[in-house]
Amino acid sequence: MASKAQRMPRSLRTATNLFVLTWLILAAFPFLWTLWGSFKIEADFFSIANWTDALTGDKTQAIHGSRFTDAGYQGAWVQEEFWRAAINTLIVCFFVVCTSLTIGTLGGYALSRSSYRYTFWLLITALIFRAMPPITLVSGYLLPFFEWNLWGILPTTIIVLVAINQPFTLWMLHSFFQNIPKELDESAKVDGCTQFQAFRRVIIPVMWPGVITTGLFSFLLAYNDFAVTTMLLAKENQTMVPKIASFLGTTQTEGNVMFAVAAVVSATVPLFILVMFFQRQIVSGLTAGAVKG
Amino acid sequence: MAEIQLRNLSKRWGSFVGVDNFDLIIADREFLVLLGPSGCGKTTTMRMIAGLEDATEGDILIGGSRVNDMEPKDRDVSMVFQSYALYPNMNVYENIRFPLKVRGIDPKTHDEKVRRASAMVELDDFLHRKPAELSGGQRQRVALARAIVREPNVFLMDEPLSNLDAKLRVSTRAQIKNLSHELAVTTIYVTHDQIEAMTLADRVVVMKQGLVQQVGTPTEIYDRPANAFVASFIGNPAMNLVDGQMSGGKFEAEYTAIEGLQAPDGAVTLGFRAEDASVVESGGQINGPIYTMELLGEATMVSVRVGGALVSVKADKNYRAEIGETVSIHVPTDHCHLFDAKTGERVGG
Repeated sequence: MASKAQRMPRSLRTATNLFVLTWLILAAFPFLWTLWGSFKIEADFFSIANWTDALTGDKTQAIHGSRFTDAGYQGAWVQEEFWRAAINTLIVCFFVVCTSLTIGTLGGYALSRSSYRYTFWLLITALIFRAMPPITLVSGYLLPFFEWNLWGILPTTIIVLVAINQPFTLWMLHSFFQNIPKELDESAKVDGCTQFQAFRRVIIPVMWPGVITTGLFSFLLAYNDFAVTTMLLAKENQTMVPKIASFLGTTQTEGNVMFAVAAVVSATVPLFILVMFFQRQIVSGLTAGAVKG
Repeated sequence: MAEIQLRNLSKRWGSFVGVDNFDLIIADREFLVLLGPSGCGKTTTMRMIAGLEDATEGDILIGGSRVNDMEPKDRDVSMVFQSYALYPNMNVYENIRFPLKVRGIDPKTHDEKVRRASAMVELDDFLHRKPAELSGGQRQRVALARAIVREPNVFLMDEPLSNLDAKLRVSTRAQIKNLSHELAVTTIYVTHDQIEAMTLADRVVVMKQGLVQQVGTPTEIYDRPANAFVASFIGNPAMNLVDGQMSGGKFEAEYTAIEGLQAPDGAVTLGFRAEDASVVESGGQINGPIYTMELLGEATMVSVRVGGALVSVKADKNYRAEIGETVSIHVPTDHCHLFDAKTGERVGG
């Protein structure tokens, strides 16, 4: 129980609660608005005459006989084959996360345990590459990719995304590994492990929250990337984000904007679920990296 | 059988010398303590034996075979770390079992071995706890159990008691002594605490700045320190050290004149222990004003300032005097140590 002195005055408590509530509404409103609107037709959601049409859905009622319609989802997923983009995103994310984490854990571990001074310069170089906008890399890649006939396919994009993501993974995992005392490796080695066994059986289990956190960040980068995927993927190989952009880019066609809205909602929901699911690991991972040491 | 031989062992990082020309044979089943202040190279020596640090020069032989180029896992040593280094994701049982598991020892024997090891350190009731749920003393015992579970040739202990509180340290010290006796395994124990060294060791190696100062049994080191450093490092209170001049068998310093000593003429440092000297009515070899008096309970410590150094003597517990009063101290010549004033080496006594 909080003592009387520690308890906040009623007015202050109301004020803070109100502030949090306002902030929550402000932050959540765009998402909720999009979710709501995704079940309307364009004439309602993008109504020029009256914005309340988006709330009432009169025109949706007139055309589809209900105030809500799944026409946007139908159009995006079935007619425009958004599911292909979803599968492509899944493939890209899976391979980007796996590759980044494999190289990142091995490299981060090696750098954190190395006593040579060049490790510092390696990390600084990595940081410089991370600081560059991804598009600068992509413009350089385009010509060779065309020449070698590598443009437009998923593996190329995966490799480029890994290259962009790797410095960050390396940094993050390196700092996680540095917080794990060296005695743990040494103890494992005396107990009978090779260096790699010590890494796999002792260090990685301790590192798990850090690996999950880093993996999630890599996933989000691959999932949300626009610059690389839009430049490097042919139309039939597009992932979700460039696909949504292409829906928006062709507003002449009736209903295409609503496809985009429906697709946006479809792309956002998995992220919510993912973050909810991993939130405990993320929090423990982030604090472990930041505070301990 | 695990006799350990260190032959001219050296460790250097650039121009910094960690361990310099360490030469020693550690007998099978011996309990050897490496003792010295921090940075003296004692832990480095142990880490070289474990294989966690490469030797710059020299050879390490365990059981007659050279192990310099062997991985730690192939040396058949086990080690207790200062920080215990328990695996935080495993419970106590799995921690103790880990060495058996990675070494591919028959899984059927694991349970019995783990239980025997945990019983030896009285951990039976905590086998299912995670290290985070244990007290410092319990963690320390898990580390011990993990070290003894696979019955290695050599035990290495790196300041295993330094993270425990004073009371627990005494009881764990006794437990380690008993354990080493029971297991009869060659043990190397690193500490900066001279009491631990005296109580545990068969032999003590005193080190300073990478150099071995003296090797001997605790009694030898206590009774016949090889140089002024060992003399000042071993014993509590530290040995009294007085700078003075030797001429014709007579030592002279401020308030001090001791005859009948055997050492060459010149500048020397006289050393004697507080408990060997005594306060007398008159006719002692040191006659000076009392600098301070400390009541210890079982004795009274009387101190005199002689030539800048504090000389303490244990007097009877009922002895009382005023500060500044002249006191006469008798120093038996057979308990005097004489060291060269420059090099600190023993020259007589």
